[in-house]
Amino acid sequence: METSYETIIIGGGVVGSSIAYHLSERNKGGILVLDKKFPLSGTSGSTQAWVWVHNKTPSWYAEFSMYSAELYPYLSKKIGDVEYKRTGGLSPFFNEADREKALLLAKTYESIGIKIKVLTREEALEKEPSLNPEVAGATYSSIDGNVNPFRLVDRYMRAAKKNGVQYSTYNKVTEIQKLPGKFMVVSQKGTFQCKNLVLAGGTWSRELGKMVDITIPINQLRGQILVTEPLKPFLNYTISGLRQAFNGEVLIGYSMEKEGFNRATTLEVMQETANLAVHYVPSLRKAKVVRAFSGIRAMPEDGFPILGRIPGVENLFVAATHSGVTLSPLIGTLMTELILDGDTSIPIDRYSITRFNNMETK
Amino acid sequence: MDKSTIICRCEEISLEEIEKVISNGARTFDDIKRLTRCGMGPCQSKICNCLVAAAINEKTGTPFHEIPLPRMRMPISPIKLDTLATNSTTFSSVKSVLDEVELEDGKVR
Repeated sequence: METSYETIIIGGGVVGSSIAYHLSERNKGGILVLDKKFPLSGTSGSTQAWVWVHNKTPSWYAEFSMYSAELYPYLSKKIGDVEYKRTGGLSPFFNEADREKALLLAKTYESIGIKIKVLTREEALEKEPSLNPEVAGATYSSIDGNVNPFRLVDRYMRAAKKNGVQYSTYNKVTEIQKLPGKFMVVSQKGTFQCKNLVLAGGTWSRELGKMVDITIPINQLRGQILVTEPLKPFLNYTISGLRQAFNGEVLIGYSMEKEGFNRATTLEVMQETANLAVHYVPSLRKAKVVRAFSGIRAMPEDGFPILGRIPGVENLFVAATHSGVTLSPLIGTLMTELILDGDTSIPIDRYSITRFNNMETK
Repeated sequence: MDKSTIICRCEEISLEEIEKVISNGARTFDDIKRLTRCGMGPCQSKICNCLVAAAINEKTGTPFHEIPLPRMRMPISPIKLDTLATNSTTFSSVKSVLDEVELEDGKVR
């Protein structure tokens, strides 16, 4: 294996692999992805994988998510079938009082080009007849959808490898040294050197940051998900909390717990998740659950992506975020522009890691 | 075993598909599962797990005791959502999307 690369990306999840793929479209060869385990063994492989825009707040973050969602149809033409479906997204509410909040959301987002409709009870039931008839209404946007996360990361990897990207898996990075004009990356399987280094460690970003003496403020947030047996296709939309996959299984979950890296599933949250399912879609009562799983989300301290250069260290970059599935096409595109051209077509200053230092000095 | 032998009966995954992802770097049952769906069906790998271990052993030479077992999860056998649900509509760890929309001065942030 070669030991010298133009760019090394640490982390082969949906974010790291997207960056690797997009970089390789322009620069064949000279790219190495290091993964401590195997891509999909962490966050990227334990998600419902909504491509979700419509009620991300604030509006500038929804706008950023929208640009990424817009890239999906083209991406799946390029890398192959990732089972992307722009189903439209439906967020039911059961309390008439929520309508006001929903209308405010729709009004604000109209100005940035995200069309959100606030549906009446009848409209919601007409769109999604399986919804609980007690529903008060729903917010709806046509841009939302979902994707098969396994296929997505697999296709990114395969397309990247085809373009000459190398992957070294089950290979944990243990040390990073900054030398003039280059980095030395020490891993379990050997030492590599590179000009550009991208930290895409997701939930493990803090650990990686320590190796270069910076704080990447990413925390862990657990989500538990139930998977049903395959059912005949009956859900038309990606509903906030559940969605039906291509093969008919329904994935259910909208839980958030601060449990560090503990990937256990718990009966309590499984029951709550089952309650959510039967509350939203009563006919699911008869469906059988075949598995519960949990995933650890990467959650930046303020919830927003951390993207861009790391100031003070030449050619060191970070890409760490929540919603990596939704954002990966855009993050891959923009990080490639930043690394190769020194600038991005859509500004990412807002997502710079420097904002956290500013917060400290306030 | 023949290449076309079905290893995972639930998802109909053949030996050939499994060997292919092993040659792409997959090393554990769970790696193979995520790339092929082997073991994701109703039996949750109860039937294919030893066969997959044999394929890993054959392709990579990893001794059996070093091949991690698939992660078993609740419910060990499929159960109805109705059985699991307690019918409460108050949620603590489980959120709804509008919960996450933040308002500031009567406007969406």
